[in-house]
Amino acid sequence: MLMIRHSIGSRLLCQTTNYRIEQQDDRWLISLSVDEETASTVLDFKDELNIFDAKENEKTWYYSSDVKINFRPEENLLLILADHKTVYPI
Amino acid sequence: MIQLYPAGTRYTVNNEWLESNLSFSFGEYYDTSNIRFGPLRVFNDDTVQAGRGFGIHPHREAEIVSIVLKGKLKHEDNLGNSGIISYGNIQRISAGTGVLHSEFNASNDEEVRFLQLWFSPNEKKLTPAYEDISYDVEQLENNLLPVISHTASERVAGIHQDLTLYLSKLDGKKTLNFQQEVGRKIYIFMIEGEISINNASILQSQDAARITDIHEITIQANQNSFFLLVDLPGGGF
Repeated sequence: MLMIRHSIGSRLLCQTTNYRIEQQDDRWLISLSVDEETASTVLDFKDELNIFDAKENEKTWYYSSDVKINFRPEENLLLILADHKTVYPI
Repeated sequence: MIQLYPAGTRYTVNNEWLESNLSFSFGEYYDTSNIRFGPLRVFNDDTVQAGRGFGIHPHREAEIVSIVLKGKLKHEDNLGNSGIISYGNIQRISAGTGVLHSEFNASNDEEVRFLQLWFSPNEKKLTPAYEDISYDVEQLENNLLPVISHTASERVAGIHQDLTLYLSKLDGKKTLNFQQEVGRKIYIFMIEGEISINNASILQSQDAARITDIHEITIQANQNSFFLLVDLPGGGF
């Protein structure tokens, strides 16, 4: 499960099971299918996003400090290039 | 201008283990007209039931200050810090590039009440850091006691922002004057009691005031009072 939350108080902006995470050198490309409205909500908070990949016993926290995030409306695809990753138990 | 925010205007989150009164947009409460006051971004007045608390979670790019008013708060983080703070202590976390922490009520039979304030840092990508200090509670009496400041000292916690946070316990009928440089802002939160600002604006328990364009104020206690004052930078944030 992938969750995108606002970093101020952790409000849930988007949640999906339809996503991919690929390592690209020292960054991680997170891609997820979203509708335009959800993408717009996420982009409204693009400077203050935390992304969580939640597994059964652990969470992985990602963020993009240089705000590399964009939406491809023709594919309904939201792309986030994260430069931070921390794994922690839950 | 002195803008008053009565206690009842705060947004309240209430569940089986937490009562949180939010002065600014936070979590499920989102109001575009109430995002921040200068670098002050979060002011939560939290009461956590015995043995309960906030499990491990991350923060970044925020200076997070906790002030315990009652009970005991247990902190642990991934920087290797742990400790229990109570009334007379201040905790500051510089989240910087990222910190994971938990905050729990350290008691199994008493609730903990604490104020949590978040400030925007004056620099991004700071190395995460933790500090807790003890201030001299006797020095609160009829005095503005600095407890957090960008100019830290042994009993004043440091912070990566051009601000100073004072606590004060003012006896009834006593007055204090506060002056700051032109262009700065003042935030006041009443912990308990009642004060008047400049013989006009009255703050009662849990009320707040956001002050701009007035840089010299007289605070009079109408009864024994305990309050917090933050001297904040002006400018855009």
